[in-house]
Amino acid sequence: MDADSDVALDILITNVVCVFRTRCHLNLRKIALEGANVIYKRDVGKVLMKLRKPRITATIWSSGRVMCTGATSEEEAKFGARRLARSLQKLGFQVIFTDFKVVNVLAVCNMPFEIRLPEFTKNNRPHASYEPELHPAVCYRIKTLRATLQIFSTGSITVTGPNVKAVASAVEQIYPFVFESRK
Amino acid sequence: MAHANLVPKLYKSIIEDVIEGVRELFAEEGLEEQVLKDLKQLWETKVMQSKATEGFFRHSHCSPQFTLQLPHNFHRVLQASAASLVIPAGRGFQHFTAADLGASQAGPTLTLPSGIAYPIHVPAGVTLQTASGHLYKVNVPVMVTQAPGDASILHHPVQQIFQPLGQPSVLQANVASVAQANASSAQAAAETLQPQETAVQQTMVFQPNVMEKNHLENCANTTLVQQPSVSQQQLATNAVLNQHAHSTGKSPQGNLHTAVFTPESSEGFFPAESLANNSSSVLLDVDVEGQLDIEPQESVQQQVSDDIIDLIIMGKSLDDNTVLKDQDTIASSDKVEPTEQMESNLRSEKDICSDIAGIIQLDGTGDVSPKEEIQHTKDKEENEFIGVIEPEDLKVLEDEEDNDEECDSISNTESSSSGDDNEEPQIDIVEEDPLNSGDDVSEQDTPDLFDTDNVIVCQYDKIHRSKNKWKFYLKDGVMSFEGKDHVFAKAIGDAEW
Repeated sequence: MDADSDVALDILITNVVCVFRTRCHLNLRKIALEGANVIYKRDVGKVLMKLRKPRITATIWSSGRVMCTGATSEEEAKFGARRLARSLQKLGFQVIFTDFKVVNVLAVCNMPFEIRLPEFTKNNRPHASYEPELHPAVCYRIKTLRATLQIFSTGSITVTGPNVKAVASAVEQIYPFVFESRK
Repeated sequence: MAHANLVPKLYKSIIEDVIEGVRELFAEEGLEEQVLKDLKQLWETKVMQSKATEGFFRHSHCSPQFTLQLPHNFHRVLQASAASLVIPAGRGFQHFTAADLGASQAGPTLTLPSGIAYPIHVPAGVTLQTASGHLYKVNVPVMVTQAPGDASILHHPVQQIFQPLGQPSVLQANVASVAQANASSAQAAAETLQPQETAVQQTMVFQPNVMEKNHLENCANTTLVQQPSVSQQQLATNAVLNQHAHSTGKSPQGNLHTAVFTPESSEGFFPAESLANNSSSVLLDVDVEGQLDIEPQESVQQQVSDDIIDLIIMGKSLDDNTVLKDQDTIASSDKVEPTEQMESNLRSEKDICSDIAGIIQLDGTGDVSPKEEIQHTKDKEENEFIGVIEPEDLKVLEDEEDNDEECDSISNTESSSSGDDNEEPQIDIVEEDPLNSGDDVSEQDTPDLFDTDNVIVCQYDKIHRSKNKWKFYLKDGVMSFEGKDHVFAKAIGDAEW
């Protein structure tokens, strides 16, 4: 059962979540009234601003913290975040684009084979946890990378990690183990 | 269904505003006043026919209150003036035909259509059934005026006042008829009707009375305000009411008036309209005299002007809470107090006023349109940070253009240094590259995205979004679509963003 080290798998990044700070207080009401494509959630104190070009949704707090979701790559995330900060600046706020950080990357990967989950779980005892009654996938955590993989019996794997690199390495790490327990 | 009652008023106010606005133009063009009237009637008819809103008719704003049940052997030729929007004032009453009441059942039962204009002359031997189901047997010919069904009641009596501006006798006639009806009706239920009607008349009387007094500039007999200041108004109102109360001996009632109007006046809702006369009040005093034996203020009586209409429309001072509270007290009082009726009338007018003045949102606490108020509410709601940011924001707004230019120049020199640290001009934080303007960032797609002329002004039931799919459940709106105007009571829409 030799696993190919050169994994020609397509890893699709579906979501990149990032945050940044504007270093200035933001008047949510003003953003809600004058901004374009905004949703004002007054009850929770947030304004959602959706961008079309990099299709992202930004959650803006009055403290100046902004969270961007929906990007498909880290570059795009940064690009969208800057765009958003730019539009806030246009609204009149003294925006400074600081503390940009990608906090989460979600990727999907498909194995060309199916996987036997109970066997896989038994072989990877400490890292893998499997509760079929709760969730049909095995949850495999890689502490070093701070990445979490969800392995389905169909061979589809969902990976979440702090950045794209971690996600890629996680997939590479898991491949041999999954290959062992293939059907 | 306060919203349903507000909408016809809003539409009415829109129509009124437009008609008033083009009145001059029509005159300049040499068109007769009759043409304008025809236009207005046509417009109202169209809106009614579109069924976009119910209870939309010129002279009465209540849904049909009565169902006439004629005895089987009773066939009287009654002529209805239903949808023709005939002005009731100037004539004594309206007649109805069974034929014209198309929506009603054939035979002995007639349902008064919503387009009925009060007052109605009900012949003898007819059984009336109100919307609430009560049956009143009328033994003597009765003049039925509009009963106070809801808050929008004032419109009807107000409308009555419109026409007979110079004809106090008409109002007197109405009052007299009501009095006659009072005398004639023997049923207890009918009696309850009458006091209501009386109250309506009184309300009609008092409300403009109050309005007038609040807007008075000169009043010979009363110590009314020179300027519409709140306290002055209050004083004036109280003074007037007290005078009435004293003269009639109904001091409790007068005090009630006083107590009632105190909160009203404090609202300060009266627009700064200057009225040179309180003629309408005097006029109405005369009418009320028949009911309450109030001595008219004769010196004021002579002047009756169109300002009354404006007053009535514009001079709303009550808020709904006040009215509701007062209406609660109505139930406890042994007689329908005119004050409460006045309250409701005033409230309805206030609603109209607000509709006219600028559609004020009824929902959303703390949300106000003027910027100054925004700042106030902000200060209350948010932390002290605002005080710090405000001047900065203002400065930014003023210097926005300058900043843009500066950023442009900066970006040109630092176009590639996206990851380098640069010193910020103001703050000591050494941070990433400042937002380069224009070039790489910003300029979101086609500014304002194909700004269209299709506009919808409405209320919403629910707005829902899933991902980028939106669903709209709207109600009670007007829209301008491809150059044509439409009115709707309900609209459902889907959209993708």
